[in-house]
Amino acid sequence: MTFADGAKAAALLFVAAIVQVSIFSQLHVFGAVPDVLLVSLVVFALLRGSVAGAVGGFFAGLLVDTASLGTLGLTSLVLTLAGYWIGRYGETTGRDRAHAPYLSVAVVTVLYQFGLLVVHFVLAESAPAGAVVRSLLPAIVLNLILTGPLYALVRRLLRPARRDELSAEVQLLG
Amino acid sequence: MLASSVQRSKPTPYPSKARSALIRRAVVVVLVLLALTLVTIAFRSPTSGALHGLQGAGSTALRPFQIAATRVAQPFRDAYDYLDSLSGLKSENARLKRQYAKVRAEAIANRALAVQAAQYKKLLDFEQGRTYPSGYRAVNTAVISYPSGVFAHSLTIAAGSTSGVREDSPVVSGYGLVGIVSNVSPHTAVVRLLTDPSTYVAAFDLKTRVHGTIHMGTGGSLILDYVQKQLRVKKQDVLVTAGTSNAQFPDLYPYGIPIGRVANVSAEDTEPYLQVQVQPFANISSLNAVGVLVPKKSRR
Repeated sequence: MTFADGAKAAALLFVAAIVQVSIFSQLHVFGAVPDVLLVSLVVFALLRGSVAGAVGGFFAGLLVDTASLGTLGLTSLVLTLAGYWIGRYGETTGRDRAHAPYLSVAVVTVLYQFGLLVVHFVLAESAPAGAVVRSLLPAIVLNLILTGPLYALVRRLLRPARRDELSAEVQLLG
Repeated sequence: MLASSVQRSKPTPYPSKARSALIRRAVVVVLVLLALTLVTIAFRSPTSGALHGLQGAGSTALRPFQIAATRVAQPFRDAYDYLDSLSGLKSENARLKRQYAKVRAEAIANRALAVQAAQYKKLLDFEQGRTYPSGYRAVNTAVISYPSGVFAHSLTIAAGSTSGVREDSPVVSGYGLVGIVSNVSPHTAVVRLLTDPSTYVAAFDLKTRVHGTIHMGTGGSLILDYVQKQLRVKKQDVLVTAGTSNAQFPDLYPYGIPIGRVANVSAEDTEPYLQVQVQPFANISSLNAVGVLVPKKSRR
């Protein structure tokens, strides 16, 4: 990843984090909130791989926790793992497939919600499992709506990485 | 044809050593450990310490961006609210006219009683904690981040210790109680909302004078708890903060902040107390600005 790419990615995640905490977090639809930061991170990780995804997730989470004066590191922890995991999927099997962003966003939305639930539960904070389950379907739908436009935008902003720029241990032949 | 050999494309070479699996795993392990360290430190001292100071400085640095984002979104929100309010405008107007006539009569009666009450207080040398709104000034401020998802029950405001905001300051909107300040940095603060499971407010029914505690119930709505079954609480009764009953142990909330209206009352044989559901006056899920109540003079 070049310096210009890194700067663009940092700007993208910064704007997404600010927009998420200041605007999108207010939009409650059937108990769910569209997560523009999570979708941006997933798309970024798909295009730039696991290391960039993990680093991006960590700093994006740090921004969210700082802006909302929440428990520092909590969002970072979950977003780091989400960015890394989706980055690996992008590096191995999913990168060139049309359904990859949608599949990734749907799966990560579920895992992210349950990840936060577990972390909040471990910290003895409010962890309403019922509310999380009820809001899952609308959250997936809302995030999927955001996926198309955001994927197109991020792809335009960051040119897709060459295969040899991404780390890969599994590669599909043919 | 079947016997002919298939020309496979040459496999792409594996990545360079610099991006090996080891480095990749090391990066993610370091980041996860760093995040866990931050969580541990932040969890141990959420409102003080060097990390809290750093977080406060970071929050102050991000504040202009958050304010800019909310200002950019404001016209769209206003347009949505305008369109949303158009439906049912006529019926709402008629309802508000009826309500206004009733409130005006009540206000005149209350003013007359207030004059009497002030005289009685003076005569009896009645000791009481600060009352709302006379004993407080409001630090009015914008909301810069909102509770996101089902985990968060707090919001961030664009005023902090430099504006006089202190931890445990009550926070109100134009309609009623919103919550309490739980974390303060120089230019921002966190408001723990009324809907947070750890928020408990001593409340008082203005009509029946029944006392209870308002908190989030298991069903996801606010309840007035610890009300004995033999006491009477009626639907539509107005609840306000109970305030300090003993000057030695001042309550966090002054007497008289409107909280909400009783939405439903029921009694179950298996429960020792009445089941009283409360509808808050403040629209907690959609707040643009709030007022933080700061005492006019320091407490004795």
